[in-house]
Amino acid sequence: MRKLTTALLAGLVLTAGASAALAADKTEISVARFFGACEADYGSVTDVTKANGECGIITALINKFNAESTTTVVKPEIVEWPGYDQLTARIRSGEPPVISVMHEAVISDYSSRGLLEPLDEDFAKAGVDVNDMTDAARQGVTKDGKIYAMPFDTHTWLWHINMNLFKEAGLVDEAGKPILPKNTDELFAQAEQFKEKTGKPYFISTLANETAFYTRTFDTLLYQQNVDFFADPNKVDFSSPEAKGALQLLADIYSKDLTTKNQDYAASVSSFAAGDGGVFICGTWLIDTYDQESKKDGPLANGYAVTAFPQIYPGSPRVWADGHSWVLLKQDLSDAQRASAVEFMKFLWDNNFEWARTGHLPVRKSIIDSAEFKGLPHRDDIASLAVNGTALPSAVKRQFSIQEIEGEEVGSAMRGDKSVEEALTDAETRINELLANAK
Amino acid sequence: MAASEHIVGRGIGNKLILLSVVLVAVIWMLPIAWTLLLSLKPNSELMISTASAFHPPYTLKNYTDIFQSSGVFRWLWNSAVVSVGVTAGILILSSLAGYGFARAEFKGRDIIFVLVLLGLAVPEQAVIIARHQMFSDLKMHNTYPAIILPGLSSAFGVFLMTQYFKAIPKDIDEAAMLDNASRFKIFWKVLLPLTVPAQATLGIFSFLGAWNDYLWPLISATKPEMFTITVGMASTQTNFAQSEGLGFLMAQAIFAGLPVFIVYLFFQKYIVRAVAGAAIN
Repeated sequence: MRKLTTALLAGLVLTAGASAALAADKTEISVARFFGACEADYGSVTDVTKANGECGIITALINKFNAESTTTVVKPEIVEWPGYDQLTARIRSGEPPVISVMHEAVISDYSSRGLLEPLDEDFAKAGVDVNDMTDAARQGVTKDGKIYAMPFDTHTWLWHINMNLFKEAGLVDEAGKPILPKNTDELFAQAEQFKEKTGKPYFISTLANETAFYTRTFDTLLYQQNVDFFADPNKVDFSSPEAKGALQLLADIYSKDLTTKNQDYAASVSSFAAGDGGVFICGTWLIDTYDQESKKDGPLANGYAVTAFPQIYPGSPRVWADGHSWVLLKQDLSDAQRASAVEFMKFLWDNNFEWARTGHLPVRKSIIDSAEFKGLPHRDDIASLAVNGTALPSAVKRQFSIQEIEGEEVGSAMRGDKSVEEALTDAETRINELLANAK
Repeated sequence: MAASEHIVGRGIGNKLILLSVVLVAVIWMLPIAWTLLLSLKPNSELMISTASAFHPPYTLKNYTDIFQSSGVFRWLWNSAVVSVGVTAGILILSSLAGYGFARAEFKGRDIIFVLVLLGLAVPEQAVIIARHQMFSDLKMHNTYPAIILPGLSSAFGVFLMTQYFKAIPKDIDEAAMLDNASRFKIFWKVLLPLTVPAQATLGIFSFLGAWNDYLWPLISATKPEMFTITVGMASTQTNFAQSEGLGFLMAQAIFAGLPVFIVYLFFQKYIVRAVAGAAIN
């Protein structure tokens, strides 16, 4: 018995020692990310197909990578969204993470200051076919002709539709598809018809406590009219009659009570699920959430559809877009650390379909065209967005701040706090002052 | 007759005051009760409607999820170290400075006191970049001293202790001096014990301020193992926490507030006494 115990103990010690030695042989890299923490549900999940939601899928992906890689250990460092104050502070204090998640709209702020490593050569060596990147993704991560990030997704602006209310309003065609407006007159006519038949507003909108709705919708309406409001990347131009028309359209929707009012993001998300209106203009990331709701009893039961932003103006089908990506922070990395960082990025590239299950669009053409992707709920309806999703030109700096200012001014005009002309002038002035001081 | 009417009138008045106080207290507590209620509901239900908070099912999953976050106990420990460090430092420095300004005669005392008070008018955000650069140059970020040291310069603490020392009659000092007590002994053995109510107030406010501080720890403690509970809790929120993770968000708020609540429970006697004493003075 004593011999058996001794043998068991010796075995345990050897196993522990061997594990420690294996772990010690691996190169550790830190990866800063948002998307939250969900260790309670996914802390040990390595089968990514069993994970759901942004947090679950990224957690499972990292678990899987750590389980499979023979050379690298990823140490996730989770930060509060969006995390850029913290990232900048870390860079300044000389302790940046090896890799960080980054919105494509922000990359130019960091790349223009020499804080990011270009990755073209690393991707070529690792076998990442950059020609497989979608147009939106490639544009998003390319600055001054160089690729500065591994794209992870494209997220865009679209219409979530309550088909049950649309039926009640007589806005469903014989094929069971929603009848959508093709110009501004049709938009108002259909919205009034919807309100009259259902007693509810046509739109549900996130108008309180954040500016995303205003900026993203306004930009999309400008794209639809072929307005190049950043022809000069150092100066915005909202002086066109098209810009005035687009903002007046939003102001009229508000003043004619065709939208819900005073709702923040959480309230508007709930409001659509509770059947308080017909159309919720929001992002790709809610598709799976509402698809799940449509499978339960409730206002969306068997009555949820999603569509690209309808062509209200006769121009381009382009639509506002941004994307998540992974950047390599410039610092004194060893060859092993850099190789490990690229290995992890390649892993994310290879597993891009899994991330697309969140509702975000994949960044690879081959996945967009795959039967696997098209088999996901509603994805076939929005595949065009991977082509039409449009970010601000990469040379435009301070894109997050610009979008904040633009949203504030568009919002003030939509709510009637300022005239349309005044809001557009103020937006121009404030953004151009910001850009004049941007280094 | 008139006297009994007066007593009856006073009784009704007291009851009205009590009723008003209870009413205000209930209104004050409603957000906390609402937070607690939401924290006990599944996130998926709250995403559709928060009205579901008024009926079952209830769950403790949001709380168990917090405990399964690998860093939470480390963050609690960090917050405790930082809060205790800041509180102790403020009490020591403010007492010494307060005694100096109240009792010691030295050239430029009043000007220096005014300069210290001007610190009350300088918001943290105004100096935070310079402060961050200073600690970067010293390579001190992601250490306890970096999170604690900036919190020690408490203009409010110096002001409070100065006023408290000033309110203590100088006769006490003189009596001690007649007994051959040194200046430090007078400070340490005679006057300091008399300032306990003020120290308790200052200590509690300092502790709460340090515990709830977010901005400085956010940019100084950037490694997860050095997060305080406020920064750590925020990092675990999903991008759409207010819609998809509302119950978890509320559980986090309750959890992060519990230690502060416990501190209040233990020290409320001192707080009330100190506030009442300050009002009388």
